[in-house]
Amino acid sequence: MKTSGRDLARKVRSIGESREFEARSGELPTWCPGCGYFGIHHGMNDCIRRLGIPLHKVVTVSGIGCAGRYPFFTKTYGLHTVHGRAVPVATGVKLGNPELTVYAVGGDGDGLAIGGGHLPHVCRRDVDINYVLFDNSIYGLTKGQPSPSSPMGMKSKASPRGTSDKPINATLLALSYGASFVARLFAGDKKMIADVLLEGTKHKGFALFHIYSPCVTFDKSYKTWENLKKWVHPLPETHDPTNLRQAFDQVLEDDWSVGVIYRRPQRE
Amino acid sequence: MAKDHVVIIGNGPAANEAAIALRERAPELRVTIVGREHVRQYKPHFLPALIAGKITEHDLFVRPIESYSQAGIKLRLGQEVVDVDFDTRRVILAHKEVLRFDGLIIATGGKPRIPEPFLVFQDVMMTLKTLADARVWIEKLARVDSVLIVGGDLTSVAFAKALVSMGKTVKLMVDEHGFWPLHLGDETRQEVAQRLASSGMELVACRKLKGLARVSADEIRVETDCGRYTVGAVGAFFGLVPDVKFLARSGLYIERGIIVDESLMTHYDGVYAAGDCAQVYHPALRDYWVSIGYRNAENLGRIAALNLIGGKVCAETPPESIFHVEGVKVPTSWWAEI
Amino acid sequence: MARVDLTIEVCGMAGDGTIAAGGLLNEAMSAGGFSVLGFDSYPAEIRGFGRCVTRSRIGTERIFALEDKTNVLISLDDVQSRSRVPYLARDAAVFFDSNPPVYVEEEMSLAARVEPETTLFGFPMADLAAAAAGTTRGRNLTALGGFAATFGVPRDLFVEVITKKFKAKGNKVLDANIKSFDAGYAYGLEHFRDRLRDTLKPLPGIKKGPEKVMLSGNLAIGRGAIDAGLKLYFGYPITPATPIMEYLAAKLPERGGRVVQMEDEISSIGAVLGGFYAGARSMTATSGPGFALMTELITHGVMAEIPAVILNAQRGGPSTGLPTKTEQSDLHAAVFGGPGDSPRIVIAPSDVEECYRYTVLSFQLAEKYQTPVIVLTDFYLDNRVENLPIPQATEREIADANEYPDESVQGAYKRYLMTDSGISPRSIPGMEGFTFSATGLEHVEKGTPNYTEENHMNMTEKRHRKIAGALEDLPAPVEYSRGGPLDVGVIGWGSTFGAILEAVNIANERGLNVGALKITSIFPFHGGVIRAFMNRCSEVLIPELNYEGQLANLIDHLHRKDVVRLSRATGSPIPPSLILKEIETLVPAGAS
Repeated sequence: MKTSGRDLARKVRSIGESREFEARSGELPTWCPGCGYFGIHHGMNDCIRRLGIPLHKVVTVSGIGCAGRYPFFTKTYGLHTVHGRAVPVATGVKLGNPELTVYAVGGDGDGLAIGGGHLPHVCRRDVDINYVLFDNSIYGLTKGQPSPSSPMGMKSKASPRGTSDKPINATLLALSYGASFVARLFAGDKKMIADVLLEGTKHKGFALFHIYSPCVTFDKSYKTWENLKKWVHPLPETHDPTNLRQAFDQVLEDDWSVGVIYRRPQRE
Repeated sequence: MAKDHVVIIGNGPAANEAAIALRERAPELRVTIVGREHVRQYKPHFLPALIAGKITEHDLFVRPIESYSQAGIKLRLGQEVVDVDFDTRRVILAHKEVLRFDGLIIATGGKPRIPEPFLVFQDVMMTLKTLADARVWIEKLARVDSVLIVGGDLTSVAFAKALVSMGKTVKLMVDEHGFWPLHLGDETRQEVAQRLASSGMELVACRKLKGLARVSADEIRVETDCGRYTVGAVGAFFGLVPDVKFLARSGLYIERGIIVDESLMTHYDGVYAAGDCAQVYHPALRDYWVSIGYRNAENLGRIAALNLIGGKVCAETPPESIFHVEGVKVPTSWWAEI
Repeated sequence: MARVDLTIEVCGMAGDGTIAAGGLLNEAMSAGGFSVLGFDSYPAEIRGFGRCVTRSRIGTERIFALEDKTNVLISLDDVQSRSRVPYLARDAAVFFDSNPPVYVEEEMSLAARVEPETTLFGFPMADLAAAAAGTTRGRNLTALGGFAATFGVPRDLFVEVITKKFKAKGNKVLDANIKSFDAGYAYGLEHFRDRLRDTLKPLPGIKKGPEKVMLSGNLAIGRGAIDAGLKLYFGYPITPATPIMEYLAAKLPERGGRVVQMEDEISSIGAVLGGFYAGARSMTATSGPGFALMTELITHGVMAEIPAVILNAQRGGPSTGLPTKTEQSDLHAAVFGGPGDSPRIVIAPSDVEECYRYTVLSFQLAEKYQTPVIVLTDFYLDNRVENLPIPQATEREIADANEYPDESVQGAYKRYLMTDSGISPRSIPGMEGFTFSATGLEHVEKGTPNYTEENHMNMTEKRHRKIAGALEDLPAPVEYSRGGPLDVGVIGWGSTFGAILEAVNIANERGLNVGALKITSIFPFHGGVIRAFMNRCSEVLIPELNYEGQLANLIDHLHRKDVVRLSRATGSPIPPSLILKEIETLVPAGAS
């Protein structure tokens, strides 16, 4: 369906008024058209806008990978570091100036493979940073090798006979490591991303946002938009995010429920 | 198999000569000398000259310290033997070390003799046997000008003359035990005494020392049967006795010294004694004799060593000789009168 | 005044109070006006099991280095001390317990092993301590007492330092310790009369100098960091750098700072970069293996132009190497380690006082030049103690050295602005209108990634220009010589320089004509000054504690002929005597 010029102009105006893209820089994201990361980008920008804090008091720290480019696409302070190290660098930033709101962003390879050793410690240290884990279960920037969250048997140029390694579940890991805020999200639900990010950012302590996203270029069979939309569904209404045991049960039983999985009750 | 180990207790002429003989004749042995003093072997008869400042400590020493390691002799100084267990063949050192031996030569020499009547004055009397003693005398003489010498053995003659040469006032109290180990007749003793007096010493002609009292650090009040006076120091010179007290309960037969046969072996196999600490059987005399003197000790040390490694050498007493004391000829046979 | 130069060792098993005794000895000697340099060594394995040795050199003149011969050995465990016998000087004095709990076989005896000229001072330390204080725990102090009496050290000197050390533990403990000391002291006076040595009477007059503290290199680094306004310390335990973390963990919180023990060295340097990026002075300290892990992020600091202070306390390598031995073999890694053309600043203090000053300096260098600054020390320098006047930093030395962007560029800020100096004003998160993204990708002035030929060339040149310019703020080499032409010029760095200086001083006293040049700025270095010095030398000698001659490799092109390398990979400090020997072989026959 073709959009009329008038409609388009109205839409652009309304987006401008909504200040939805305020946090977005002039740099055009390098992601492929249709990439799930656009949705995450949108949700994060929306969250920062709704937080009401000035952009110069926000720092976005990233590692390497498709998600690693993120800081260039925001108007916050950004720190594009090396592969796997967004979380410890973000820890330094937050401790260096606790008044800053700090996001660490990165993909599943960055955060679960090369940087996987940092996850247990940032969880138990409970530094007040917000870690947005873009999980598309593939190494996109290096053109399609299996990642720690790829399903067993995934075929690629690097695994022509299919991978023999089991995937790991970032949500479950974070719960096990004692993270104080754990959420699982879907790149296709910008509204939920913004809402949950808002809640998690306000949470004092470490927050993990594990976001399922497709890789439209290199993954044509597993986490496709089509499959994700089919699989992903909200947490049951009965889910009590302050109940750690229930959180574990939920994650063990259901890979695809999204929302706030766990939130350690906070004092005051 | 570990090398057989010969331990030599003592670091005087007998000990060192024994070590050298062992090294020459039985290079396969491990040889250890254990000496109580902190210095290597020196010539004790030069101590008076040292005190008089005529020589330095360096001149006293018999051989360079390196010669021991070069010869493969382990020299342990400043370490005292407190016991020997002959059954298990172990030497016990004062610092609770166990030194195992296959052969043992005891050559601890003598220590100053203080006769019974003088024992009560032991604390205020000084002796001169070791380099350490000499150092104490040197320190003392820097502060005092007069010295009373009691007893009067051969060492005391040389010492008294050294004192005179330093300009000190020397009183000499010679009793019937004087000039030990020589046994002089009254006439000869008088003659020697006269000669000494003419060389600048004052002879104290009394027979009995009634009291010695320290008045201050460098003043001693002397009371005799014929008067009182004050001196800076009192030296006791009654000769030497074998230094074997540490073996008193070891099972060795000890009389005036460690009793050994003519080959210098004790009644324990492989355990020998030599030098001033030994009391040696003389088959011809059918009696025991005690060695005196540096040369004699060296000789006995060598004999003990040779016998220890399977030799059959008989310890010969030194020949009768004429001994000169202050120019007075004294005919003596070493063993007869001791 | 007789010149005193004594090396004293205390040796025992962990648990004997060896390190404590060595510490008290150093403090007492320092209080007596002597110059003190101490170096402890202890087992790499578990601290509670193994040999401990403290080594102190006490002198009337300033001490620059350790000598390899020991004059006094105080043994608290004879089996352990036996290994020290080869290091004894010919006429050494050995204090040991003459009444051990069990009989000792000859093979295990200390007294059996020493040379005949060694003077033995055996006395029943444990018995004396038990009789005096009811416990043998103060045996180490009894040993010190015997030593003090023999060497003429007044009782008061020790009582003073013992009181200082133990008064916090209550009168009972203090009293027991003093009694233990006194028991040894009285015994020594009475029984060691024939062997008393009068060499360590306190020095009159000197005591009235400025108050001195006893500091290790590590402690000096810790104090320097705190005085410089350190806010964040991130680290991971590693010998020999750990004491820095432990010192800061105790002291930094009360100054409003934080110490975080991270999960590894990578996260440590990452957090340091994060902290500095957010405007907080941050540092980490590590050793070779940890440093190797840090290299990627160090080059990130180079590329993204983020300050960082990294202390590399070198130890024997490669790999895990010799964790408790000293070596200067990370110079290449510090200067060149990591991907790409990545210039950074490397400085290396050569004594404890410099450990303090260079740590303070490193923060300003890092801020001003927006770069990781690597401070190279080594096991020997970190762990040795020296007595020195209390080090202090001036306001100017600790002032903020950041160059912030001018308000006029607000909104049009270029983080990596091309400038003559290569220094681009740096904004800090929280500053409005100056947001940017720092990146480890090659970038244009604004900070966005760019891989074009011309840009990479220009930006690489900018980063090198910036670091080369840091030379104006880096300490220049210091020459020690009579000036003019020299037969031998000895160049050195780090902990080795003390030994070099001592060797050169002795050589000159012996009538030779030699000089020493101390290099503390390793990269960039003062090539002109070094070349000028080399030009005046017939021969140039570079002693180093590494096999490859790593400083020599860096600067040998400045000399018109081959430099002579004295490269030692032994794990132990180079003794001055060895350098002296090398100097003497290099001096042409008949010279001077």
